[in-house]
Amino acid sequence: MDAVVVDGLWKTFRLPHEKRNTLFEQITGTLYGKKGYEEFVALKDINFTVKKGEAVGVIGENGSGKSTLLKIIANILRSTRGSVKIQGKITPFLELGVGFQPDLTAKENIYIYGAVMGLSDKEIDARLSEILEFSGLNQFQDAKLKNLSSGMQVRLAFATAIQTNPDILLMDEVLAVGDMDFQQKCLDVFQRYLKEKKTIVFVSHDLNSVRRFCSKALLLRHGEQVAFGETNEIIDKYVYGVDDKATHADNRQSEPKKEEGKIEEKKTRWGNKKVKITNVRFIDKFDRENERFMSKDPLLIKIEFESQEEIINPVFGVIVHDEKENWCIGTNTDVVNLKTGKIKNFKAVELNIEKLPLNQGIYFVSVAVVSEDLKETFDYLDKMYKFNIINTSKEYGRFLADYNWKLIGENRYGPKKF
Amino acid sequence: MHIISNLWDYRHLTLKLAISEFKLRYKNSILGFFWSLLEPLLMLLVLYVVFTNFMRVNVEHYQLFLLMGIISWNMLSRGTTMSLNSIIGKPGLVQKVYFPREVLVISSCLTALLMTLLEFIVFGLFMLIFNVMPTITIMYFPPVLFVEFLFILGLSLGLAALNVYYRDMQYIWAVVMQAGFFAAPIIYPVSSIPEKYVWIIMLNPMTRIIDMLRGSVIYSTPPVFGDGIFILAAALIVLAAGYLIFLRLEPGFAEEM
Repeated sequence: MDAVVVDGLWKTFRLPHEKRNTLFEQITGTLYGKKGYEEFVALKDINFTVKKGEAVGVIGENGSGKSTLLKIIANILRSTRGSVKIQGKITPFLELGVGFQPDLTAKENIYIYGAVMGLSDKEIDARLSEILEFSGLNQFQDAKLKNLSSGMQVRLAFATAIQTNPDILLMDEVLAVGDMDFQQKCLDVFQRYLKEKKTIVFVSHDLNSVRRFCSKALLLRHGEQVAFGETNEIIDKYVYGVDDKATHADNRQSEPKKEEGKIEEKKTRWGNKKVKITNVRFIDKFDRENERFMSKDPLLIKIEFESQEEIINPVFGVIVHDEKENWCIGTNTDVVNLKTGKIKNFKAVELNIEKLPLNQGIYFVSVAVVSEDLKETFDYLDKMYKFNIINTSKEYGRFLADYNWKLIGENRYGPKKF
Repeated sequence: MHIISNLWDYRHLTLKLAISEFKLRYKNSILGFFWSLLEPLLMLLVLYVVFTNFMRVNVEHYQLFLLMGIISWNMLSRGTTMSLNSIIGKPGLVQKVYFPREVLVISSCLTALLMTLLEFIVFGLFMLIFNVMPTITIMYFPPVLFVEFLFILGLSLGLAALNVYYRDMQYIWAVVMQAGFFAAPIIYPVSSIPEKYVWIIMLNPMTRIIDMLRGSVIYSTPPVFGDGIFILAAALIVLAAGYLIFLRLEPGFAEEM
């Protein structure tokens, strides 16, 4: 059984140059004959099917059309072309506490919000104590909503919302708000819905949750459907952009970045340029240039250079800094006793990191080439390059180690290995 | 038919929204209810003083005549004014959840109806004070009021939808309501209008509605059958037209806000 079938879906927004919001402006605008808007294609030809009981994650960068897609499925926005077919009762969780009236009491708001989410008074009567219990607001049930803290309001909304019993759930980053405790509660509820075999469409930036909960994923980029399929495969595609469209997009993106680098050249680059670094590339496990990598995946840093003079044994170095400018990795050809020889015959040097030990974050890279005795700087590019690390496991800290946990005890078969 | 059955599924939400709005109106002050009655009563007082002493309008039970006119006109102006904001005033509900958007307009009209019913209770007290007892003709009062409600709902649907796209609709409408108050026979009887202009004033469905409400409650005169048909037809046409405008504009609501 298919719960959601999206077929050839397009969505175009009109972005008015000047928003004509009044009849007066409409009339004057028409008289002067201005074309009042620009078209913006938010979704291009989206096709996918969600089977009953399946959880599908929608991933993609900001502005890739994820939320628009969710709103069209929820029937809040209408498609420009194509169709969405829904089997079953649908509940969108796009925002918590929609329709809350600050001037009414917590209890009254439970009934109103419940009605908005499709619950009848009887259903709420039966669950009222459970809702108040869950949100911890028993003693405040007759207080006006506006007098409750925002945390209490969110808990109240959440406790009410999860009483709904839809066939299909649409979730948009609801899990991203609230403290750790609250997030854990959200995850528990998510798990419960999964167990109950609800159909879920889940929009998130948190690849970790998508991997944990969703068997399938849909990847959007600039409104286009890049891929739809098994979650791990799609996350790989998201991180490494393994498809032709992606490389085009990346090339387009990287050009202005080079411009930025040039502007800052005075500050962040120095040296006499006897050996000149012409380019630095980050290569991923698919042999493609990239700026996003997964933890524990390989990273190849390729430093291209040129030199007019004959220089013997220059030393190439790389430093990886984190956001706070701590050195995370620092190495050069000298510390490993690599003699580079007559450099004029070569074009590039590669540093191959087999298994990135870094946890999620942005890292900045400095690249330098200096003389054999380390006294003369030929070219030094200070933190001019950067890459992103994405980690879908849940470890803390800056670095990732290879490790295993062991429990030592009385077991006569010896230590138990996990 | 499909649309109506679909809306019927949302009756619970519609009522809930209407009642919570109604509560809100009166919640912020203990005297909220009395304040809301003060406005029509003050207006009644001013108009009564002006028109009985200076203009010399000659109407039997003029106080009740005037009050009935003001209350039934207020239902129209309040219902449409509240509905104008019913969609643009609730961006959360329009952009974050889905239910038929008509629900918002219908619930605003229901809130206005509830407020008007309260005023009619006060009207009943006034009848006791002036010792006017209604007769059996009062049975025509509910159906006529229902027709007025349909008329208001039709106007509201169209206006609320247009107001999403053209925000000056509410100002234009305020002027229309102001003019309408004097163009309808609220403070004067139709009989005081020169014969040759009567047909113009009779085109306004509110003229007949107000007269029929007065007749049934104050003067014990049953409505003329033809008038009943006229207001029902007018209300249904306005309802159909308003709803068509609404359906036409509804798909873009979430984007336009």
